Amino acid sequence: MTGCDKDDPEPPIEEELITTLEYVLSTPNNPDITLRFEDLDGDGGNDPVITGGTLQQFTSYEGVITLLNESETPTENVTEEIEEEDEEHQLFFQTTIPGINVEYTDEDADGNPIGLTSTLTTSAAGSGTLSITLRHEPSKDGAGVSNGDITNAGGETDIEVTFDIEIQ
Amino acid sequence: MILKYNKLLIRIFAILFLNITYCQAQDCNLTLSGNVFDETSLVPLSYVHVHIQEENRHAISDEEGKFSVDSLCAGEYHLQLSHIGCEAKKVHLTITQDTLLIISLPHTASLLGTVIVKGQSQHNKDQPNLSIDRQTLEDNTNENLATLLENEAGVSTIKNGSGISKPVVQGLYGNRLAILNNGVLQSGQQWGNDHSPEIDPYTADKITVLKGASAIEYGGGNLGGVILVEPKRIAHDPHLHGQANYAFESNGNGHVLNTQFEQNTPLFGYRITATLKKYGDRKTPTYFLTNTGAEEINFSIQVDKKLSEKLYSEFYLSSFNTRLGILRGSHIGNLTDLQSALNRDIPFFTEDKFSYQVDAPRQEVLHQLAKAKFKYYANENQKIEFVLAGQINDRKEFDIRRGNRSDIAALNLLQYTLNTDLKYTHTFDKDWVLNLGNQTILSDNTNNPETGILPLIPDYRTWKWGLYSTLSKSKNNTDFNLGIRYDYVHQLALTISNSVPREIIRYNNYFLNLGGLFTIKHNFENFQSLAYNLGIASRNPAINELYSNGLHQGVSGIEEGDINLNSERAIKNTLEYKWFQNTNFTINALVYHQRFNDYIFLNPTDEIRLTIRGAFPVFKYEQTDAAIYGFDLSSQFTIGNSILGMLKYSYLQGDDLSNNQPLIFMPPNSAYGSMTYQHKGDIELNSNLRLEETSFEINYRLVFEQEHILADQDFIAPPDGYSLLGLKFSSNMITPKHKIRYFIKADNLLNETYRDYLNRQRYFADDIGISITTGLSFKF
Repeated sequence: MTGCDKDDPEPPIEEELITTLEYVLSTPNNPDITLRFEDLDGDGGNDPVITGGTLQQFTSYEGVITLLNESETPTENVTEEIEEEDEEHQLFFQTTIPGINVEYTDEDADGNPIGLTSTLTTSAAGSGTLSITLRHEPSKDGAGVSNGDITNAGGETDIEVTFDIEIQ
Repeated sequence: MILKYNKLLIRIFAILFLNITYCQAQDCNLTLSGNVFDETSLVPLSYVHVHIQEENRHAISDEEGKFSVDSLCAGEYHLQLSHIGCEAKKVHLTITQDTLLIISLPHTASLLGTVIVKGQSQHNKDQPNLSIDRQTLEDNTNENLATLLENEAGVSTIKNGSGISKPVVQGLYGNRLAILNNGVLQSGQQWGNDHSPEIDPYTADKITVLKGASAIEYGGGNLGGVILVEPKRIAHDPHLHGQANYAFESNGNGHVLNTQFEQNTPLFGYRITATLKKYGDRKTPTYFLTNTGAEEINFSIQVDKKLSEKLYSEFYLSSFNTRLGILRGSHIGNLTDLQSALNRDIPFFTEDKFSYQVDAPRQEVLHQLAKAKFKYYANENQKIEFVLAGQINDRKEFDIRRGNRSDIAALNLLQYTLNTDLKYTHTFDKDWVLNLGNQTILSDNTNNPETGILPLIPDYRTWKWGLYSTLSKSKNNTDFNLGIRYDYVHQLALTISNSVPREIIRYNNYFLNLGGLFTIKHNFENFQSLAYNLGIASRNPAINELYSNGLHQGVSGIEEGDINLNSERAIKNTLEYKWFQNTNFTINALVYHQRFNDYIFLNPTDEIRLTIRGAFPVFKYEQTDAAIYGFDLSSQFTIGNSILGMLKYSYLQGDDLSNNQPLIFMPPNSAYGSMTYQHKGDIELNSNLRLEETSFEINYRLVFEQEHILADQDFIAPPDGYSLLGLKFSSNMITPKHKIRYFIKADNLLNETYRDYLNRQRYFADDIGISITTGLSFKF
């Protein structure tokens, strides 16, 4: 310890990190639309890369969310971790575009929604944003929470990303 | 004996404390007489109750502080001297002849400052200071180091809930405040506002706060105050003595047990202390603060050994171990979570049942200290002291984590520190004292990569080498003191890059710090004194200020250091006026002003950083010119011989001069008042039980709103001011064989709902409501 040198620190393996969120929206007879948020170096460093999308009006999409940790090799699929602890997690969808409606199509062991799969329905043309929030340890019994209202959810935010959306 | 207020006598009594002279007499016809004085002012103390335990006889001192007990047989006696407003003093003596005892009691010490005997640092007694005695410690076993001091003028606390508290002295804390545990500079993770000092105050006999400018001897880059946690010397008593203190606190169902044993055997003297603490969830007036329990296990052993007539040694080992819960509802993910938490009346995750359970978020901290000290008295005028100390600080912080990772610490730091301290004291021409000192501090800090999170502060190693000298002289009731200090600091920091792939970047920094001190104190004939104290100091930027990088979960912000920071420099002026006309009325007024160049602070910038977890505010370490100034007022008075009153007031303001705005996180102004009625004489309950020193206290603490802050400097406006009422009853129960002290007190008696500006938990929850503490102290 009295020496004038010190060993290099070992960079931690950031297993818990989520670098990427993908929301893939598919509807028959049309190419899939992928909303993507990617921040490979975590907090700080380079700014995240955010890709929004253009949806068709009066259309119903099947939505699937995938969470990745791309800082690891091979890339780790964090979605599985959420599936294993599904009672402790819930995704919320909020939009500034009137007429967009997202409904949960999955549920945990208690019959409460998770939000990894959903149905997104558009109405008239317009533009705005769609925000996706993943809460850890929300109170799923809170008023309106199982219908997708985040107001009384509580818990900690693990993910909060916002995409620009165009509907035409 | 006529006593004139005289500097030389102060020194004699301060150092000797006790002076016994003998005259000729016959057995069982011996007289013990004594003169009792106030330790600080040297005013004779009347109404001191003297109890000779073996004989169960009593005496009371007269107006000149004199008492006398006759018809004593030759033999060994334990004496206890007690007086309103000060801790009882125990004396062991062997009487073979008529004996005159000259003794001082710390009647005004908490107000007027104490004479610091430990180290006998000449300049300390001229520095503004205050102290807390053992009695206060025993009657507040439920408090921690910081909260014990928070009612004192000029002292406040930064908290994170009720379990985590850091002391603040005249606006300075953390990296700027030195805390000495048994003479060793405490070395832990001082940079964190949510890191309490890892010290068990119940190992101490006295806690002293030096408020003045740079205390030259203590180094550590302290631009301001110093807190000394000092055990007392092991008494020259060949019998085994000890005490056990137990307290129960209703708020949190807290249990605290503290024991202490000491003995001076022919070979060596020893003292062993141990403290156990267990608390569950605290409660506001209306709801539980879920997950705010705490556990603590502490142990210390001290051994004093006289190696020869000239060489003395002292060995000290202490172990501090704590597990502290943090309010579950204060753990948040991002700025959105913070906003929704701020808007709630009752925090998220509040349970309606009490629990002792401590889950994440929590802290687990171990701090071990080993110290050896040698004192060599070369001759009457020359003394050399050498201290070697090692510390290990192991801090783990656990957050709520995904994927069963809550049991893996999110912050895991291990720090080793090695201190050496060599000091030479030379007294010449009777009233000149020269001190020369050489200090080294080596610390090594390593992050455990098992956290799986990029560390907030990097691994580092620092070397500090300090030299100092002080020179003091007393003449014609005037004391001078001059000091200079030089420090050379080398930092080696090993940071991990923010970009991928991760790279290690090594930084080597070299700093020179200079400090100087000048004090002059004049004692006027009419029991007044005026002291002026000037201190200049520089402090190199600390590792966290240079290299912090990342999310500080506790404050839900991204903190960024700046590798280009310079050393900050400060100049502090204090002027202290004391008046002790007699022991019935004393007053202490202290004015201070501290000017900083390149003051380093964490600035909340306008930048909001986007991450996958959402938006976070960015806080950057920046430098500015600043001033912190204010005044501390305190007064102690007695009404009749049974009522003791205290009044304290602290005013402080901090300004960022370059940006023309207030400094953030400065203590609000506060006041404290107490009235104590002490029953004269004993209350006989029956032939086997009587009560002595029965007293009843009412106290009131008033904290004003922090108005000196701009709206955009914080997430929400500072909370309103508040006032807390407290009551306390205490008494010593005396049986033929034992003495048990009993107390019961109520804090926040009116169960007021309030939030404190310096408590970070105020963003989420109210502060704690009414709490009743009862305690027993058994001594033998």
